[in-house]
Amino acid sequence: MNINSLGRPADFLLVEDNPGDVRLTQEALKSHKVQNNLHVATDGEEAMAFLRRQGKYANAPRPDIILLDLNLPRKDGREVLAEIKSDPNLKAIPVVIITSSEAEQDVVKSYNLNANCYITKPVNLDQFIKVVQSINDFWFTIVKLPSNPQ
Amino acid sequence: MDNFDIPLVPGGYSRDDFAKLQIFEKILKGNVEGIIITGTCGNIEWVNNAFSALTGYTKDDVLGKNLSFLFAGAKNVHKAMCQKLNEVNHQEAENWICHKEGGRFLAKVTLSAVRSDADMITHHVVEFSNITEFRHAQDELARRTKELSRSNQELEQFAYVASHDLQEPLRMVASYTQLIAQRYRGKLDKDADEFIGYAVDGAIRMQAIINDLLALSRVNTRTTAFARTDTKMALDKALANLRLVIEETGANIICGALPVLNADSSQLTQLFQNLISNALKFRGSNSPCVQAGAELQGGEWVFHVCDNGIGIAPEYFERIFLMFQRLHSKQEYPGTGMGLTICKKIVDHHGGRIWVKSEPGKGASFYFTIPAALKEDL
Repeated sequence: MNINSLGRPADFLLVEDNPGDVRLTQEALKSHKVQNNLHVATDGEEAMAFLRRQGKYANAPRPDIILLDLNLPRKDGREVLAEIKSDPNLKAIPVVIITSSEAEQDVVKSYNLNANCYITKPVNLDQFIKVVQSINDFWFTIVKLPSNPQ
Repeated sequence: MDNFDIPLVPGGYSRDDFAKLQIFEKILKGNVEGIIITGTCGNIEWVNNAFSALTGYTKDDVLGKNLSFLFAGAKNVHKAMCQKLNEVNHQEAENWICHKEGGRFLAKVTLSAVRSDADMITHHVVEFSNITEFRHAQDELARRTKELSRSNQELEQFAYVASHDLQEPLRMVASYTQLIAQRYRGKLDKDADEFIGYAVDGAIRMQAIINDLLALSRVNTRTTAFARTDTKMALDKALANLRLVIEETGANIICGALPVLNADSSQLTQLFQNLISNALKFRGSNSPCVQAGAELQGGEWVFHVCDNGIGIAPEYFERIFLMFQRLHSKQEYPGTGMGLTICKKIVDHHGGRIWVKSEPGKGASFYFTIPAALKEDL
């Protein structure tokens, strides 16, 4: 079992309303060698509550990375992105936009709101799995993250 | 002088002067625009034939009257224009002019001052023409442009919906059937594998079609204004995009001289890319060779993309440019049947034509035209 550069399992926050995609991401991360914990929020409000450790999330860990879908009920992913990147306590957390949208306007807007990167969900299952595993590899074995986040 | 009827006083003018004055009078009288000559207060002293034709008033109806009665609800406008004449010799405006029979029409009106040798204004000259139809045409154009813009916006929205909302359920179908296939391989029977295979294949093909439909709709809705485009660079970009396929097929691409012209560069790249991709896809047993070039013929550039592939039978020359038309099964050659449709739409958008010359087994030559720029300095 490979330990990633953090020296401990990475905490993923997946913000995704489609249970099918949640399950696919779980399967992809499960089968990967690099260890991780997957937390899920199914809409934008829940995501912010988790990040701010409010209510039932009082003891939630600070995620090492956020996988964020754009089209979410209640609070839209673009709003969540804007809030995270303008909050001094949260903005250092890498946010990977992972969405079905290929629309140029979404790509531009996401980068303008300081998303760390933008990924369109592949249709092909094998590619989807590869993409999720690549995210894990890239951010936790190649990239350097702050060692002592608040 | 308070009337312009040429006096028959031979001694007062030389014969030449007289002849000239007659000509001038004929010109003014017969002018296409209505002409009114007034004193500095606006009292009408002379009108030409077009005045009567446009307003319905004869010369006798209006001589001596102040011309403000002609301008519907614009008494002050005329006064203001007259005052301005002290500074500027020439005023232009649009006014409504009243017809004798009660209606009115929109006119472009020019007011000018006639000055004496001592630079005092002695007369005003009003010229006008009926611009009602012109204005209607302008309004109609504006209305249609607005309608077109609204329609384009709707299409853009539709394209966005198709791109996002359709692909979501598509992914679910494709991903989970593949997951089932992988997870239960060997545990389900052979039929199950086959059935799942068809389901996955269908989903993946649907994805390709949706992408192509989007690309097609964007040719007209997501355009950039035409600009100076080096078509060689557009072609090079297409070749760069096709680099892998070119390497895999060992293709030889030959480019002739290509012009600089007014076009949408990214659309031209797409056009070249689709044509060359087809040339490579429908290759025969030989390694593919593609020739691209252009010639100036009669005010337009005629581009060609020629290959040595399997060719096309003449009865299909028109059909292949239609949506979703394919001449082969997807087992033989993959594709959605949209590539040439998109090519045609791009060429249409540029005001050109596209056609093919081919014989089965002897390769295909695609030609398209783009109008050359009007100016030389491109």
